Amino acid sequence: MVDVIVTPQPVGPIAAGPTSERSQARRETIRLLIRRPAFILGNIIIIGWIICAVLGQRITPYDPFNQFFAGHQPPSPEHWMGTDRLGRDVLSRVMVGSRDVLIIAPLAAMLGVVAGTFLGLVMGYYKGAVDDVLSRIVEAFLALPVVLVALLTLVVLGTSPIVVVCVVGILFTPIVARTVRSAVLSERQLDYVTAAKLRGESGLFILSREIFPNVLGPTVVEMTVRFGYAIFTVATLSFLGVGLQPPSPDWGLTVAEEYNNMISGFWWPTLFPALAIASTVIAVNLIADSLQSVLSE
Amino acid sequence: MARFISRRLLLALITLWLLATIVFVIANVLPNDVGRTILGPFAPQESVDALNKRLGTDQPLIVQYVNAMKSVITFDYGDSYVTGQPVLPTLAAAIGRSAKLAGLALLITIPLAIIAGLYAARRRDRPSDRAIVLLGVTSSSIPEFVTGTILVVVVGVQLKLLPVLATPPPNADIPTQIRYLLMPATAMAIVYFGYIARMTRSGTIEVLQSDYARTATMKGLTTSQTMRRHVLRNALIPTVAVIAVQIGYLFGGIIAVEKIFNYNGMGQTMLFAAQQKDIPMLTAGAIVIGIVYMLATLAADMTIAWMNPRIRLEAER
Amino acid sequence: MDYSEVDKVRRSSTPLQLDVVESFMGGRLSRREFITRGSIIGLSMASMTAIIAACSSSASPSPSAAGSAPASAAPTAAGSAPAASASAPAVTGGTIKVASQKPVSVDPVAMQDLGGYGITAQCFEFLCTLDPNGKDIAPGLALSWTPNADGTVWTFKLRTGVTWQKDGSPFTADDVVATMERLVAAGNSGLKGVLEKGGAVATDPNTVTFTLAGGNGNFPYLVSVFNAQTLITPKDYVAGTTLDKDPNGTGAWKLATYNAQTGATFTRNDAWWGGKTPLDGTEWIFFDATGPMVTAYQGQQVDAIVQFDVLSGQSLLTDPNFNLIATEAALHRQIWMRCDTGQFAKKEVRQALAYTFDRPALIQQLFQGKAQLGNDHVIWQGYPYFDPSVPQRAQDIDKAKSLLAAAGVSNLTATLHCGQLLEIPDLATLLKSQASQAGITLNVAVESLTTFYGAQWCPDKPADPPCSGAAELGIVDYGHRATPDVYLNAALKTKGIWNSSQYSSPAFDQAFKDFQTAVGVDAQKAACTKIETILNDDTPIGLPYFYNYLAGTSKSFNGVYSSALGQMVFSAASKVA
Repeated sequence: MVDVIVTPQPVGPIAAGPTSERSQARRETIRLLIRRPAFILGNIIIIGWIICAVLGQRITPYDPFNQFFAGHQPPSPEHWMGTDRLGRDVLSRVMVGSRDVLIIAPLAAMLGVVAGTFLGLVMGYYKGAVDDVLSRIVEAFLALPVVLVALLTLVVLGTSPIVVVCVVGILFTPIVARTVRSAVLSERQLDYVTAAKLRGESGLFILSREIFPNVLGPTVVEMTVRFGYAIFTVATLSFLGVGLQPPSPDWGLTVAEEYNNMISGFWWPTLFPALAIASTVIAVNLIADSLQSVLSE
Repeated sequence: MARFISRRLLLALITLWLLATIVFVIANVLPNDVGRTILGPFAPQESVDALNKRLGTDQPLIVQYVNAMKSVITFDYGDSYVTGQPVLPTLAAAIGRSAKLAGLALLITIPLAIIAGLYAARRRDRPSDRAIVLLGVTSSSIPEFVTGTILVVVVGVQLKLLPVLATPPPNADIPTQIRYLLMPATAMAIVYFGYIARMTRSGTIEVLQSDYARTATMKGLTTSQTMRRHVLRNALIPTVAVIAVQIGYLFGGIIAVEKIFNYNGMGQTMLFAAQQKDIPMLTAGAIVIGIVYMLATLAADMTIAWMNPRIRLEAER
Repeated sequence: MDYSEVDKVRRSSTPLQLDVVESFMGGRLSRREFITRGSIIGLSMASMTAIIAACSSSASPSPSAAGSAPASAAPTAAGSAPAASASAPAVTGGTIKVASQKPVSVDPVAMQDLGGYGITAQCFEFLCTLDPNGKDIAPGLALSWTPNADGTVWTFKLRTGVTWQKDGSPFTADDVVATMERLVAAGNSGLKGVLEKGGAVATDPNTVTFTLAGGNGNFPYLVSVFNAQTLITPKDYVAGTTLDKDPNGTGAWKLATYNAQTGATFTRNDAWWGGKTPLDGTEWIFFDATGPMVTAYQGQQVDAIVQFDVLSGQSLLTDPNFNLIATEAALHRQIWMRCDTGQFAKKEVRQALAYTFDRPALIQQLFQGKAQLGNDHVIWQGYPYFDPSVPQRAQDIDKAKSLLAAAGVSNLTATLHCGQLLEIPDLATLLKSQASQAGITLNVAVESLTTFYGAQWCPDKPADPPCSGAAELGIVDYGHRATPDVYLNAALKTKGIWNSSQYSSPAFDQAFKDFQTAVGVDAQKAACTKIETILNDDTPIGLPYFYNYLAGTSKSFNGVYSSALGQMVFSAASKVA
């Protein structure tokens, strides 16, 4: 996530001087960030889940898919998180359960942010008729509750990971577009844009080389915030039965499969994946919060 | 103000048209023999054709589109394809139920969250502020279906304090209705708390740093006087905006909560309609939700304009 | 043996009825099978009791003990339900709260879902109703029925003194004929190919004669509670009318309020022919899923659950205050394997996969034991013509491996498709694990139910033969049927409309034809033996289990019974004092 900030942007002649200034600012940003415990904690949790996702079965205590013990055993030294309804080890399944959501949610967030940023830049820079038309479309999309529309689309189209990524990404686009648009609106009145215009630079050049680097901050924050929302949304969709499909050990799906059994006293197959979802979203939000306050200072 | 409102209404109509078009496209992406779906695989072809003719689903898509748009204007959605029930009364009842649930959730969460946000802002960077921020991040990170499930088991089944189904008996009085809705509303309120508290906090901090707030303090006003006279109004502007924007989000969370508590609001109705490919119900439902959302944003904009005359002037320009 | 009683029955019986009597007396039918078969072909309960008594006069002192449940076949309200008379004293009055699936349609002719079946059957009634034992049929609007010698003509005598709720007008044969015409026009799945337009004729106001397209020994089942759309509606009933738009019926309950989203209430029909119901009314609450129903029961917000599954209702199985109604039923899953093309085209490969199933383990893990073994054919052991002599297939990994080797197949890898429904994804997971023991790799692909049906199970195109676009391997769900005809006809017959395994066997088609036209007990059993043997050997489908239909009530109510099709009967139910 931090990488995005440090990507050096070659800039036009006017901005040539500030290049070193920029890298200095970048270093300062990182320094501020690593001084924040919330940022560190968030990263530790996320990296932990990424390790689980990458190594998967190589580090789980048992085979999460094909090893069946007695069903619904409570947590014990052998099974730290107990076993599920079919007798699979819950800890092993929670560990590999991060895999699907850590692929789908970032992809959806990225799709939304890339498309939204592009749209926001265009709307903010050109204003006028282009902005008016696009704003109406964006507003129409904003009037659609994300989970509800995603649900309807997935029920009608049939669900698959790619469709989930596309639907969630598209539904995030207008939200990002609006944020970027307002950032661009305030940038474009600044002198450096006027100067570039006077130099006769093309609109495309001004957008990509002048304005974009300066709205990168809000874009990065938006990216992390959307990532958090995406995990939340995908988990909810899985819970409603239109997100990830069995036999995936996905957390939201597992909660949906097991939550009825809580009434019978079998709380462990539901509680641990639920905590896993919560920990991931909390971690992403901690990172997003830190980024936001550091970048806005 | 009148110009402001009429401009917004015009925009709203355009938005509604776009919304209806989007739903129409989603509903018609897959080739779908509506008559066959309703009557089942054994029905003779003649009956299927007759039904398609009656419903108008045998006509070319463009004609169906024009009809769909007509019904947006005339607000005539006829009967459900599946249950045969008239669409609008069904939706009206559903949205009434959802509104009760969402309303109660907001009623619980808004005062608590604003107080917490203001308190945290005044004690910026002290332990109590850190605690409230962390609580906010945490509470908005736990999906409603997780909190809902835990509440059902602990409060409903183990402690037997509250009913586990959200639908109150018919003609129940208000306290009884609240009792039935308390658990699902709490599940939603928890998620919502984090957003509002954090937004209030950052809005307040921004205003407290502004020149006029500093001036007020320098004038010798106490912190609480400054808060009351100068800060509160301006600090709450982003909060009001976020509450309105989150109405759409609220609908997403409501689906999962309604599922757990078997509450027949908009979420359940729309989910059922989608599963049964009940197109009139889906289209009308999306429009109704769109209208609610736009009314909410409109109300928020007007509140903001009332709170801050500068924004009002800009909007009227 | 008391021959005089038997002779009396013999003299008054038609040849088809006589055949059942002789089969029972010859020991070829058990007492249970005799009552089931006898009730289908129209032997009166009195005659059957007499025959059972005659055959076991020394063994069983009380004739009524022979079939304690069927003895009360007519479901009259006054203490008819066996449970009610046995246990705690009952009181009159009160209502019961029933948790039911949300009905999709309450149009008696067009409905397709258990929710709709349950609601409509509260008001309208069948010619042949449900026996309190939950399995057999009993006289409903028809008092008695008799077939001719080859089962092509069936004569139904109707109950008199029955009135319609709406206007109090009498129920007559014209109502039955009009209902049948509507059902035939709508293409009712049970009557299709059996009853044609004009086949039902009112011979007098209280008699209807059905002339069938061919002989059918099971016809009364097709106009009973087990063919849920055959509820008798008034003669001027307009097709497409839903119950809530035009509440009417002849049954024990009157629809008082109906809200398609939340629930319905019924009040006692004082004019019901069965007498005064103990309860004042019933209150139905609709649910979208079984999980919340179970929760609601635990939270004491409902008293009865129309249907639930083991997956979400495990706690109910061991709840001491819950009156579990576990009805053995023909509900099952078919694991289809394409016989015409692909990796399963060879019989040995299909058998090999079937040999990897650990059926008892599946039944334990998925149903907590509430299921019966399946033997890769659709003849459920509850059918009176089931032949238990076909050897039961059990897990045999070595056999599976040698079959694969014989077929020259190694490293078999296939995708197992299924829909998101109840325990099916879990079944797929377990099958994958069991198959891996024999070196078979199955990749499970779960999709939403509608997508699965449309894309994997039976795609619309290519349309001829039906389902020829199906995936090579998948799991599909089948509901309960009182006779196996639909399974055999749709899923297994050459060019059957749901034949996703593309099974085509002249030997099987012939055996099925024999079964359909067989009217006598021996002929039906012989045909079934052939069907079981052929299917078990060819293995176009794997069928690991038939699972129980689960319903139940709280112990504070007595006398509730249920079919395996969502129809729960409350006419004899009462609150425990």
